[in-house]
Amino acid sequence: MHIMEGFLPWQWCIVWWLIAIPFLILGIRELRAMMRNDREYLPLLGVCGAFIFILSALKLPSVTGSCSHPTGTGLSTLCFGVFITSVIGAIVLLFQALLLAHGGLSTLGANMVSMAIGGPLAGYAVYRLLRDTKTAMYLTVFLVTVVADLATYVITSFELALAYPAQAGGVLASFEAFFVIFAVTQVPLAIVEGCVLALVFKYIVTLKPEILIQLNVFSEDQIALARSRAGDIPPAEAES
Amino acid sequence: MIGKYKLELITVIAVLAFIVLFLYTSAGGKYEFTGSDDAGSQKIGELTGHPVASFTPVIPQYVPPSGEIESTLFALQASAGGLVLGLVFGYWLGQRKRVSVT
Repeated sequence: MHIMEGFLPWQWCIVWWLIAIPFLILGIRELRAMMRNDREYLPLLGVCGAFIFILSALKLPSVTGSCSHPTGTGLSTLCFGVFITSVIGAIVLLFQALLLAHGGLSTLGANMVSMAIGGPLAGYAVYRLLRDTKTAMYLTVFLVTVVADLATYVITSFELALAYPAQAGGVLASFEAFFVIFAVTQVPLAIVEGCVLALVFKYIVTLKPEILIQLNVFSEDQIALARSRAGDIPPAEAES
Repeated sequence: MIGKYKLELITVIAVLAFIVLFLYTSAGGKYEFTGSDDAGSQKIGELTGHPVASFTPVIPQYVPPSGEIESTLFALQASAGGLVLGLVFGYWLGQRKRVSVT
């Protein structure tokens, strides 16, 4: 989903940077508040950040015959929301722009808007929609992750389509072309990523349910229900 | 028993399906499996009519001199994540054990 350095007209670079900056500022603020007041959340933040680092380094082959990487932003979005996720995503993208020539400083704004902001926003919307319904908890985690991943690539396609409308058919036609390159490639990857992160979430639920309850990621009842289903605690305890 | 490990089972199946899908698509030797980023850049070249090489960085940037060095840096990125992951899960596991003893 990286837009390579030099491949975005400078006007668009500025537009996406301007959109990204407020998210970063709010995210850094939230992070600083957490480091001052809620240090017990820091290990979980480490896990969420670690998955963005790991998954976005893995370039996996897909059905379209090209390779792409998952984003890993779903877990962090669930636990800490969009703003903090945008900061972690920005750090990864900065690393890749500076050392790996994947993306660049001028296109960093656009890449942040797709991977660190847009994807998490879409994932968060799914989370808010499903959280208080009867949807099984791990299914929610799966869907949030899949949507955050896919939305990233849809937004990249959109960013490129806006900058490079096709001569015949305009923005829509070139969106379609970029969509095939980026988003279709991403579908199988997103599904695997969703499964993996749902599984990781299960292990966090097993080891540290109290953190998830404190952060109010899911309600105490939902977490107790999931634990009793996994045979972690007896069912009677879950109902009390 | 299966109920307890349902999620694990689903994940293993998804990963296996992913691998089989890859073996199937790569069997004919039809595809090169380049990055979709490059495919995107190619498309931009097509749409604008300018060759890909004519797009020069707006802000000068460091480019890893070879694929080897690039893969080292990517491995470094993933291992940094893995390190933190192992550290935290180990810390949590250790905490839980201590509680259950006292």
